[in-house]
Amino acid sequence: MDQDVLTVLKLLMIGESNVGKSSILLRFTEDEFHENMQSTVGMDYRTKQVTIDGNTVKLAIWDTAGQERFRTLTPSYYRDGQGAILVYDVTDRVTFMKLETWLNELNTYCNKTDIIKMVVGNKIDLPNREVSTEEGLQFARRHQTLYIESSAKTADGIKCCFEELVQKIIQTPGLWDRHTLINSYGNGNMGGVRHRGQRGIQLADDTQLYNRPSNCYCSLI
Amino acid sequence: MEDVLEEVVSSDDLKKFERIYNEQLRSSVITQKAQFEYAWCLVRSKYSADIRKGIMLLEDLYCNHSDSEKRDCLYYLAIGNARIKEYTKALNYVRSFLQVEPGNQQVQHLETLIKKKMEKGFFYKLLLV
Repeated sequence: MDQDVLTVLKLLMIGESNVGKSSILLRFTEDEFHENMQSTVGMDYRTKQVTIDGNTVKLAIWDTAGQERFRTLTPSYYRDGQGAILVYDVTDRVTFMKLETWLNELNTYCNKTDIIKMVVGNKIDLPNREVSTEEGLQFARRHQTLYIESSAKTADGIKCCFEELVQKIIQTPGLWDRHTLINSYGNGNMGGVRHRGQRGIQLADDTQLYNRPSNCYCSLI
Repeated sequence: MEDVLEEVVSSDDLKKFERIYNEQLRSSVITQKAQFEYAWCLVRSKYSADIRKGIMLLEDLYCNHSDSEKRDCLYYLAIGNARIKEYTKALNYVRSFLQVEPGNQQVQHLETLIKKKMEKGFFYKLLLV
């Protein structure tokens, strides 16, 4: 099964405490929702294999604690991240305002300048909304990120969030490399060279990937 | 990397938080924050001597900490012990955590991971025999 995996992508879940980062991840990986999720201790880690546009990739997802006391240790996890999911709670304006800080932190500590960012307005199932879709979209536009609204509770937007993000990463040459996986097989240099060649062919074959319109309701870049 | 138990701290991080801790040690006022951050790095080291030191620091913190941070200590005590194959101890810390927060997904997941490693170790021993 593993031979078919195109690459391993490192994704990060970032945002204030209690916006639903772990709930989004739990919905995505296990298709479960728990009403009373406790706050994450330090850092959690999950993997999931997904197939998008015929490409199977393995996602290595880091779920960071939003609480202040872990703030000094989280930036080291940003290293080599290829995708970041920045979450806020649409019923809590403060968490939306804090996104700016999280984005700055990400830009400071992530060494990949072309990391793909997805802003997620979560908890849209709740009635007391404080941040409108328009405001969320404006923020995303200003910072050139993808945007989606979601509910981990109803599963709205969750799959789409990850799919859009992964699709965008795969469409960004130079951000990912087949090599990550080849190295872990321990195939040595020869294998690496061989597969690098294959990667070029693969990209040429997938030209339709670049022209494919988005099927997600409110994403942009 | 397959799971959270296989994660290894970067040597930069370990050095950085070791320096902060040692500076405070010299000035003889060690903040709980510095001790926790250093311990968090130590339990994720690839050297078991580091992990053991991290466990010691966390055990010390656990006795002096307020409730909200006790859970942090318990979680990383479980991780540290599992990494040096002290699975029974690790599971005890997991169970103490789950007594307070029975529905905690992160810790339930950790419990599953530790049990898997434990079984793997057991079968490996059987093979050797």
